[in-house]
Amino acid sequence: MPDGDVSMPDPSGSGLITLAQRGDVDAIGTLYDQHHQALFRYIWLRVGEHSLAEDLTGDVFVRMLAALPRYRPTQATFRAWLYRIAHNLLVDHYRKEGIRVSAPLQQAETQSADDETPLTLFEQKLTVERLRRALAALEQTQREVVTLRFLSGLSLQETAVVLGKTEAAIKALQHRGLAALRSALAGEVGVSDG
Amino acid sequence: MDELHDLFQERLARLERGEPLEACLAGLPEEEASLLKMAAQLSTVDYPEQASDSIAVQRAKLLRAAKERNSMSSKESRVAPRWALPAILTGAAIVFTCVFVVAAVAGFAWLRRSSLTPREVAVAATPQNGAPAQTVAVANPQTGALANARGNVKVQGDDGAWATVKAGQTVTAGKRIRTGPLSSATLVFYDGSRTYLGPNTEIWIDALDAKTTGGPRVVQLTQWVGDTDHDVAHSDDPASVYEVRTPSGSGTAKGTSFRVLVTALFVRFDVDEGQVAVANLNVIVIVIAGQSTTVPSGEPPSEPVFRINGEGEVLQTGSSWNIGGHTFLTDDNTVIAGNPQVGDWVAVEGRLLPDGTRVADRITLLHRALENKFFFTGVVDSIGADSWTISGREVRVDEITNIEDGIEAGDTVEVRGGIAQDGTFWASEIRLLDDETEQPFEFVGVIDGISDSGWTISGISIKVNDGTEIDEGLVAGDVVKVEGHILADGTWLAESIKLADEDEHKFEITGPVESTDPWAVAGVEFETAAWTEIDDGIEIGDRVKVEGRILEDGRWVADEIKLIEDGQALRFEFVGKVTGVDPWIIGGLTLATDENTKIVGEIAIGDFARVKGKMLADGTLLAEEIKLLDTGLGCLDISAIVINVSAGQIVLNTGQTINLDDVQINGELEPATIVIIHLCVAEDGTIVIISITVIFQLDALPTATPAPTPAPTAEGGEGGQVAICHKPSGKNPQTLTVPQSALSGHLGHGDTLGPCNGGGGDNDDNDDDDDDDD
Repeated sequence: MPDGDVSMPDPSGSGLITLAQRGDVDAIGTLYDQHHQALFRYIWLRVGEHSLAEDLTGDVFVRMLAALPRYRPTQATFRAWLYRIAHNLLVDHYRKEGIRVSAPLQQAETQSADDETPLTLFEQKLTVERLRRALAALEQTQREVVTLRFLSGLSLQETAVVLGKTEAAIKALQHRGLAALRSALAGEVGVSDG
Repeated sequence: MDELHDLFQERLARLERGEPLEACLAGLPEEEASLLKMAAQLSTVDYPEQASDSIAVQRAKLLRAAKERNSMSSKESRVAPRWALPAILTGAAIVFTCVFVVAAVAGFAWLRRSSLTPREVAVAATPQNGAPAQTVAVANPQTGALANARGNVKVQGDDGAWATVKAGQTVTAGKRIRTGPLSSATLVFYDGSRTYLGPNTEIWIDALDAKTTGGPRVVQLTQWVGDTDHDVAHSDDPASVYEVRTPSGSGTAKGTSFRVLVTALFVRFDVDEGQVAVANLNVIVIVIAGQSTTVPSGEPPSEPVFRINGEGEVLQTGSSWNIGGHTFLTDDNTVIAGNPQVGDWVAVEGRLLPDGTRVADRITLLHRALENKFFFTGVVDSIGADSWTISGREVRVDEITNIEDGIEAGDTVEVRGGIAQDGTFWASEIRLLDDETEQPFEFVGVIDGISDSGWTISGISIKVNDGTEIDEGLVAGDVVKVEGHILADGTWLAESIKLADEDEHKFEITGPVESTDPWAVAGVEFETAAWTEIDDGIEIGDRVKVEGRILEDGRWVADEIKLIEDGQALRFEFVGKVTGVDPWIIGGLTLATDENTKIVGEIAIGDFARVKGKMLADGTLLAEEIKLLDTGLGCLDISAIVINVSAGQIVLNTGQTINLDDVQINGELEPATIVIIHLCVAEDGTIVIISITVIFQLDALPTATPAPTPAPTAEGGEGGQVAICHKPSGKNPQTLTVPQSALSGHLGHGDTLGPCNGGGGDNDDNDDDDDDDD
């Protein structure tokens, strides 16, 4: 799990962040280099539009620059803090645009996956477009948790910080989210397979 | 079901720790196995990537924005407010004996006025401020412009009378500028150099020709008292001079950044960038980045020593302070601002003496020790002699509870106080709220002006009426505490204006958020700091309550920005020991949580945590956030010279060897580099070196402890003679003795102070060149 390995330390060392907080341009550039692709993926999975995702990724770093003096390492890892900015930005984006987040499908717990063979199902190639469509069908918080945990590689604690929830809540949500995602993918396969 | 859930979480954790998928799947039921397999597969998907041209544009835009911010905030790396200066020092000018105030005042009076076009110079509000810069027009090299004047800032006119400065007012050579308490200003020069004046400061402009081309830049100031910061623009002309003269010596700099503190007893020069030559009584020392020198009255400059800056918890006070686990000696010259006590969090600035002793020059209170506290608004149900019931919550009162007169059952009140160990709410204050829309304010400021139509206090127009309680005899310049309400039309109506206590520099305002970058509430801009606690989710238009302090340079800095919820939410906030986690019991109080409760940090029983939340109608305490307290003792920045670099470690001039494993290195570590070592102290006293940053490269390692360079006896010339290492192009360096008055010119050519090769004198002028050597 390259980008999703939670054992991977936050690459933004405290010294680098301290320098960035002091206005060191090289340090700020390094922070951008370390995080922009992952943030772009996170945002793209939410908005599904390449150019919009690029614009919003840029906005995250503009907000980061303004908020850096207020960042405190004792409150959250830098990565979690950055994703929280991105999360809030997306919330703002949806609110300003009046976009309704898609309604959830049936809760995974209520669905039966018996009509599919899960292991067989996921042996098929999981394309990013399939994944994005399936994610869009998830309840919003479940989608956030699955994205942050398994696609962005945030730890339980970091995900809890980003979403403002307890780790216990994240554990429950990730389990339900994976189940819901499996069901959504199964439904999609059923349709496409005719 | 729970067991399966736990099993899945355990396998997922193993997978995330790097164990092979097959091993993690072993023994898992098919349902859980499929979920785990999918979790693993999600990270293998080929995701789209941001286009390279978009990355390049975005990155460049970000860095440009960062540079612009830097240009607005010339020294934003400093974190501690530090204009503090005891009022007793204002009399320092009496003992003024400066030997350097020579003919400069008159000498430059002839300077012709330039026909150059005015220059726009960006200037941040303060050296520490990250707020957008003002742009100030400077008419010509022979003038300076005063910007960001706060409080009482005055300029002496030709008739000798002192007049309050106007925004952008220009000044010329011969002018005198002074600031009062809680006041500050920035003097901007044509070449972009800037001088920040802290409170209780007086400077004279002796000579001013800040030209950028066609000759040397000349800025000569005399600082009689107070605290100044200098950002000196680079000049290509080696004869350029930027000099600050004081009652005890002068400092000459080129393209550098330094600070000057003048008190009745001593003068101190602190250098942040570049180097400054400090001279007094025919002794000159070179102070380099990261160093300080102190010049006691009537004595030569002391040997420069490295500075220590940092923040930490006060563990001990007295002649010897322990701050963040480090011992600092204090003496009569140590400035202690804010009366910090054990447990409080302070900023410390000091010096590291050659024997390793740390001496504190300034200790500034940042925030008081955390203590259990609460506040809420509610409706008074009943009033008893020692206990009130407010919205169903019993609140104890005693003889020290400040209870506003006239409160009756049914009134809406704001209550604040502390939570005792046994969970009792003890009220320290109960105030009547007139209506839901009132916006109370409270601050301490300087009276700028008094007229029939109203008062101006620290730049804010304050209306008074027959009900306003005003201390007798208040005049412009007095520091007062103002309390009142902001009316619906935005008018600030004072209920009282009273002479402030010396250490009562706080403010409290309530109103809608107008901006968050910079922060502005109810028409007042203020700053935030590292310790400012800001409620999550505050947006423009939200109603907030801001509490903070007014620093001695007049800046408003928030300690807390709290969202005021609609209706009559009963809010609480306290710090307590965690004695239970299911349910949460903190400080003896049982707390409810819901899906929105934010738990920050790995909190275990026995930890201390800060709780924020609201009281529900049934009296339940619903926690919105439970946050593990920052348990570190503090962090320090220490400057030192690198003596030796070997595999994985460095040796400092202090004799310490530092292992570089897990240390963030910024810059190239080489022998003779000056570095700032950022270290933090954990609760258990463990010292962790976080980063090492190179800030300066010396020409060579010092061969011995740097010592002041005594100049030979004066030979009739101004300031006597001084030895330098002259470095002619393409030839060997040679030791020369030159008049002190010619020193700055030589230094500008690249020569260095002191004899060549560390004073060995082995290559004194025995070459065959035609220099005017000795």
